[in-house]
Amino acid sequence: MGEHSDKKLIIDGKRVDGRKPDESRPMRIQAGVLKNARGSALIEWGLNKVIAGVYGPRECIPKHGANPHKAIIKVKYAMTPFASKEEHGRAGPSRRSSEISKVIRGVFEQVIEVERYPKTQIDIHLEVLQAHGGTRVTAINAGIVALAEAGIPMKDMVFAIAGGKAEGNIILDLSKDEDNFGQSDTAICMSHRNKDILLLQMDGLLTKDEISKIFEMSEKAGEEIHEKQKQALSDIYGEKEQKVEW
Amino acid sequence: MKKIVIPGDIITSTEMNIPNTYNENGVTYATTIGMVDETGRYVPLRTIYAPRSEDIVIGIVVGVRSAGYSVDLGISNYGFIPSRFLKRKLSLGDFVVANIRTIADNGDIDLGDVRKLPDGKMVEFPTAKIARLIGRQSSMLNLIKEAIGGDVVVGNNGYIWVSEESNIPLFMKAVDLVIERAHTSGLTDQISELLKKR
Repeated sequence: MGEHSDKKLIIDGKRVDGRKPDESRPMRIQAGVLKNARGSALIEWGLNKVIAGVYGPRECIPKHGANPHKAIIKVKYAMTPFASKEEHGRAGPSRRSSEISKVIRGVFEQVIEVERYPKTQIDIHLEVLQAHGGTRVTAINAGIVALAEAGIPMKDMVFAIAGGKAEGNIILDLSKDEDNFGQSDTAICMSHRNKDILLLQMDGLLTKDEISKIFEMSEKAGEEIHEKQKQALSDIYGEKEQKVEW
Repeated sequence: MKKIVIPGDIITSTEMNIPNTYNENGVTYATTIGMVDETGRYVPLRTIYAPRSEDIVIGIVVGVRSAGYSVDLGISNYGFIPSRFLKRKLSLGDFVVANIRTIADNGDIDLGDVRKLPDGKMVEFPTAKIARLIGRQSSMLNLIKEAIGGDVVVGNNGYIWVSEESNIPLFMKAVDLVIERAHTSGLTDQISELLKKR
C-alpha cells in the first residue's frame, strides 16, 4: 500500500499470479506438528508459512497479571529474520509485530471460553516462517486450529482473509505485490457460525459498496477455509494407513 | 457413522446440558474437538483437566513448608497437603495419590486421603482418553497390569504412576497405542494382541 509501481496488477481480468478476483491461494493445514506444545498447527497459504503453538492454561506469570475471573490470553506474533525478502531486522518484538499480536489477541479472546480457567494464562505463539502478503490472517487461521487441537474450549471457529482493491477491482486474498502496490488492503476475521466480525483493519480507501462486496466474498471463501481447518483437525484421528512397527 | 465435530458444530438441535458444550437459542454446540456416534452421543477427544472435589489425583511434591506440601497436579494451581493430615513426612519429588477434598473460590486445591507411592515412573496421559485406558469395569487396566507384572495407578488429572518392577517399556507402548487409537473400536483386542507379542 502506498507505493507506486509501473507493474500491472490486473491483466485481462486476471491477477499477477493468474487468479480470478475472488479466488484465494491454495491452502494446506496440518495440525499437531509440535510434540511439546499442547496444540499446534502448520499452515501454508500460497507462499505464506506460519507455525502456531498453544500452551496452557497454566500459571500466570507475572502473578499480579492474573485475572481472578477468567484466563488471560497472550499472543505472540513474530516474524523470523528469514521470513521475507525485505530486511525485517533482528528477531524479536517490533512495533509492527506488537500491534498484530494485540489485534489477534482480541480475536481469540472473543471465542475462547476464558471464564472456565480463572487465574491462568493461555499462550499462543504464531511464528511466521515465510511471508508473502497477509501473514496476520494466515496466523489467525493457524492459531485457531492449534487452539482446537489443544482442546481449549471455544464457542466457535474463526476464519480470516484479506480483501482489497487493485486498479479499481475488488480482489480477495491479496498477495505481496497486490498488498504493496494496490489501493487497499483489508484484513477481515469472522466467526464461522454467526459471521461476527472479530477483526477489521482497513488500509487505503474503500466505498461502502466495495466493503460490502469484500464481506460477501470473504464469507464465501470462509466456508472453504473452515473446511480446510476441519479437515486438518479430523486428519489427526484419521485411520492411519502406515503400519506402526512396535 | 461416527463423525468428528469441532468447536461451533451442532451436536443436537435441542437444548441439552452436556459437558464441553454450550447452548444458544435452544441448540447445543460443541466447544472442543470430539466425536458424535450413531446414537448422537458426544465424546470429547481433547479436554483440559478441570479439578473437581472427590477426584483421585496423582501428584509430585514440589514444595515443602512447615504447614504442608505443595503438589504439582499438571494444572495451573498446585494442590496442598496440610502436614497435620500426614503421619509421615514427605520429601521433594515424592509421588503421592490423593483425593481432592475442597476447591476454594480462589482456586486453591486441598488434598486429603494422601498415600505416598513407592518409587516408580510417572507418565502423562491425555485426560479425555482416561476412560478408554481404564476400560469397562477396569477391564483394560487389569489386562495391562497383568501383562506388565506390576501396579498401575491412574489419576483423574492425567498422571499415571507405574511401579518400578513392572515392564515399563511395554507399558509405554500400550499407553501410546491407547492414545493413538482411543477413538477406534475394538481397542481391547488391539491391546491384548500387543501385550501377547511379548
